Order: sequence, then structure tokens, then C-alpha cells
Amino acid sequence: MSARTTRVLRMALVLAAALEAAPASALDKGIPAPQFDLPGKDGAVQLAKLQGRLVYVDFWASWCGPCRQSFPWMNEMQARYGARGLQVVGVNLDAKSDDARRFLAETPARFTIAFDPAGATPRAYGIKGMPSSVLIGPDGKVLYEHAGFKEADRAELEQVIQKALGGVK
Amino acid sequence: MKVIVLIAPALLALAGCATVQPWEKGKLAKPEMTFGGDKLETRYADHVYTSREAAAGGAGVGGGGCGCN
Amino acid sequence: MTTSLQERDAPPLAASLLAAALLLPGVQALADEPPAGGSISLRYLDYADRQSGLDRIHAHSPSIAVTAPVASDWSIEGTLTADDVSGASPRYHTAISGASHMHDERKAGDVAVTRYFRRGTLTAGAAYSTEHDYVSRALSLNGTVSSEDNNTTWAFGLAGSRDSINPVNHLVVDEHKRTVSVLAGVTRVLTPNDIGQLTLTRTNGSGYYNDPYKLFDNRPRSRRENTVLLRWNHYVDATGGTTRLGYRYFSDSYRIRAHTLSAEYVQPLADGWSLVPELRLYSQSAAYFYYDPVYDAALGAPFPPGFANGADPNRLTSPDQRLSGFGAVTAGLKVVREIGKVWTVDVKVEGYEQRGSWRLFHDGSPGLAPLHARMLQVGLTRRW
Repeated sequence: MSARTTRVLRMALVLAAALEAAPASALDKGIPAPQFDLPGKDGAVQLAKLQGRLVYVDFWASWCGPCRQSFPWMNEMQARYGARGLQVVGVNLDAKSDDARRFLAETPARFTIAFDPAGATPRAYGIKGMPSSVLIGPDGKVLYEHAGFKEADRAELEQVIQKALGGVK
Repeated sequence: MKVIVLIAPALLALAGCATVQPWEKGKLAKPEMTFGGDKLETRYADHVYTSREAAAGGAGVGGGGCGCN
Repeated sequence: MTTSLQERDAPPLAASLLAAALLLPGVQALADEPPAGGSISLRYLDYADRQSGLDRIHAHSPSIAVTAPVASDWSIEGTLTADDVSGASPRYHTAISGASHMHDERKAGDVAVTRYFRRGTLTAGAAYSTEHDYVSRALSLNGTVSSEDNNTTWAFGLAGSRDSINPVNHLVVDEHKRTVSVLAGVTRVLTPNDIGQLTLTRTNGSGYYNDPYKLFDNRPRSRRENTVLLRWNHYVDATGGTTRLGYRYFSDSYRIRAHTLSAEYVQPLADGWSLVPELRLYSQSAAYFYYDPVYDAALGAPFPPGFANGADPNRLTSPDQRLSGFGAVTAGLKVVREIGKVWTVDVKVEGYEQRGSWRLFHDGSPGLAPLHARMLQVGLTRRW
């Protein structure tokens, strides 16, 4: 092997080693969702109290661009499926809750909002991107996870919610 | 020079080993924290400096050239 | 990115192939977001320099840039620039008399298309520039790959250019210059307040490098250039400001070694105002074939020493100040105002001075008058 090839391979190994540093893994489907008890806009928000409903937990922050697009869609989902048992919970992760309130003043949320500036909940859920959402069944078990939010995701996410609620109407 | 080329990427990648979580990136999301900045402003700076100095480039490739007096 | 139990167990074929191609096991699918909306920017530069108390070059340069997302995974970006340059350029060193007067208009445009993947991007670009005596065409391909946690991004680039040169004084006719450049870089999130970047580039070029408007300017027909660029952005919690530091080391086959240290501080103020002071320090060594303003004993200026005694007329020489040893300082201030979420206006003023005696660590080239320049920029951006 020429000196040049050796050098290229050595660089590639360095690159590979650098990328191997693996982060915490996200939750497996079917395990009980980690509990949380967080302050909300109107009182405490506890996952335990929501047992029996289909809970869509969305992790968001004021600085996250796609979050701004996801809010109108989440409002729509809450309005359309709330009566059938869906509860959307937006967990805010801003270090300063004031930034979150400013965001909510411009982009109102017609679903439950909870504040977790310390970031304990996303850590427990193994969140890997912003925004991230987790769908939790009425039995408290994790059904589905999704990271990011693009136009194309809306239809797919809605289908998952419909399926979990038991059929299309 | 060759030593830098081999070692530096590894150092940079391993530095700050405490992984920054996705929800901790609020400050990094600010436009002034990205590299590059305003595209036209950077272009003007590159153009002025390559017209008056011998060194050129650094951040990107593909700009094309000019007679540049 | 959906992750049901079954999907996560079966590594996607495409990702495996990509990983194999890049010799990087463990890289999964790719990670960047296309811009949420587009933008249009208008910018104007007014540049003027002076030397020995006389005005030299004056340039006016308006430009426009447009970026827009396309479909859900693409974006396109284009710019157009027109330079109106006029004034007097010394024929050798910093000589005022007999300086070549010129007036030229340069038009340039470029376009780039980017495809966004789950963990990276691929950008193809083309650039074209034309003026009376110089046409340049360039193509480029750049890619980025991000780690799973988005804290590390690798960048790769490849570009080529072909220039055609036809000076108005017909010193040469239909000359050419070709270059090929490669880039490799890594960007790393270090802490919630810090991000760093290391970029290496290499350019190989061949063809016509002389300045046809300078006397006795005879440069090698090839040039190899290397740069190492290190950048670090740091958010200051106490003030809400950001420091942006950069260091570039440049070396080439002309045996020029240059250091560039740049520093910017972005300070947001109330009501959408920001102040950005900047400072740039630069130092370069002379090219090995540059000759000082010490002229042939018999013939005097501008003849290089030894000319009258039958020195090889094809030897490499250049009296171009740009290839001499010098240091330079830029100081500037930019004032920015953001109006609503849609408009940004800014004004930037900079002063530049270049002096042989300011070269760092070694002596600069003697005998050249300092060069002063001032730059004024105004910019307007609309986002949607």
C-alpha cells in the first residue's frame, strides 16, 4: 500500500471513530412511557392523570423552526379528535420560560402546555431531535415516536392517530 | 502540516465530549452562532481581500475568479 | 424519522451503501432541514483606496441574492453581482506616474441547488463571471454528513474553474487558467454555548497567472495553494452577545505564507438593533520571485536588477505589491436593524490599511507606500 493510501485510510478510521460516539437510545415501542409531573399554564400536568386517553406528547422550544409549523396542525388534531379521547400535551424545553410565553402569544396553542426547563422529561424519553413527538396509548405504553416535522409528515401522523383511536371516521 | 491534518479532525470531534442534547441547542440556533453569515457580505469581503492580498479562500470552494484590479 | 421496533433492527440499505462508500460505519440516514422560507437580499458595496495621498481604485458593486425552498427536500440559491471598477493601478510597485488607468464593468452570477437528506446535504453549484478582459466559469459539488446526534457535521467539496484571459493591451491573446479545488471540514458542537469548525482546502492551478497590466510580471504557470481555517463561535450568557473568531493559515507554491486572524462580536440591543464591531489582522510573506523597488543599476526603474547585464528575460519576476511581504489591519462596525420578523437592514463601515512594516514575526518588503482603503456597505433582506 502506498504512503498516500495509508494516510487516507488512517484519516477514514479517525473519522469513523469520531462518528461512533453513540447517543442514548430512544424508547422501544411497547414499554410503559416514563411518568412526568410538570407545571403547566393552568396547573400541574401529570401523565398518570391522563391514563385512559390517547396522549400525543410533543417536545418543542421557541427557537425551533419546525415547531412553529407543527402548532397549527396540533391544534387541528386536538379539535378533531379530542372528543374521541386524544389529548395533545406540548412539553416546552426552553431554558427560559419567558421565551416560551412569547412564542405562545404569537402562535397560540389550543392544547395542554407543560414547562420542563431542566430537560428531565426529554432525557427520560431519549429524545434525539427537535421537535420530537411520542404517542402513548390509553394503557400508558409507547405506541409511536417521530422526530422532526415537515409538511409531508402531517398525513402520516394523522393516520397513526386515527389507527390508535380505532378506525377512520 | 501533515500531523495537523491527521490529528485535528479527531481532536475537534472528540473535544467537548459531554454530548449536547437536542433541547440544549437554543443558543446555537441563533443566526450569529452559525458559520458563514450573510452570503453577499462574505462575498464582498472575499472579493476585496483576494484583490489586495495574496491569500485566498478558506471557507469554501467553487467561487470562480476575476481579473481583479 | 419514524422508529418502530422492526425498522430499527434492519439497517437501511441506502445508508449502508453510503456508509461503505464513505468508509464510515455507524452513519445512519441523513440530517438537515431545508430552509422554512425563502429570502431576497440586496446589497451595495462602495470601495475606494488611496496610496501616497492619491486616490487609486474606486468600485461600486450592487448585488442581489435569492434563496427559496423547493418541494420538501430541495432548495435553490442564486446571486447576481455587477462591479463597476475604475481608477489607476500602478504598473509596478507603488509608482504613481504612468499608472494604468482603467474602467471596467464585471458581471457575475452563480446558482446552487441543494438536496436535503435525512443526515446530510448535497449541493451542486455553477458560477460565471465576465469582464472586458477576463471570463471565469466554475462548477462545484459540496456535501455534508451529520452524526446521529447532529453534534458533528463533516463537509466535503470539489470544484473546478476555467478562465479565459484577453487583456485590453493585447500583451497576450486568448490565454487560459484552470484550477481544481478540494475541501474537507468538520463542524462540532462543543457546548450549548460553543461551536467550532476546522476546514482544509487545497487548490491546484495551471495556466496564465501574470498580471498583464504590470511591467516585468512573469509568474510561474502553475500554483498550488493550501489553507487551514479554524473558527469558533461562542455565546456570552452575561451579555447575550456572540464572539466569532477565526484563524486561517495559507501557504502556496509561490512560497507565500499568510496568517489571518479575524474577530467579530455581535451584540444584540433592544428593539431589534445589533452592533457588530470587527477586527482583522493579516500578515503575509513575499513571493519568492517578487523583487523590491531596487532597480537595475544602469537602466533604473522599473527594470529589475541585472536586466542590463543580460539576465534571462524569461526569469520569474513581479513588482506587484500584492505579492510583497506586508501586514494589514481592518477595523469595522456594522449596525443592524431587524424590523418585524420579515425585514433586516444593515450598514457596515470598514477601514483597511496595508504596510510592509506591519508584517508579523519577520520584516516586510521595504520601499512600498502604505495602502489605505475604506469600504461602505448597505444591505436589505426580506424573508418570507
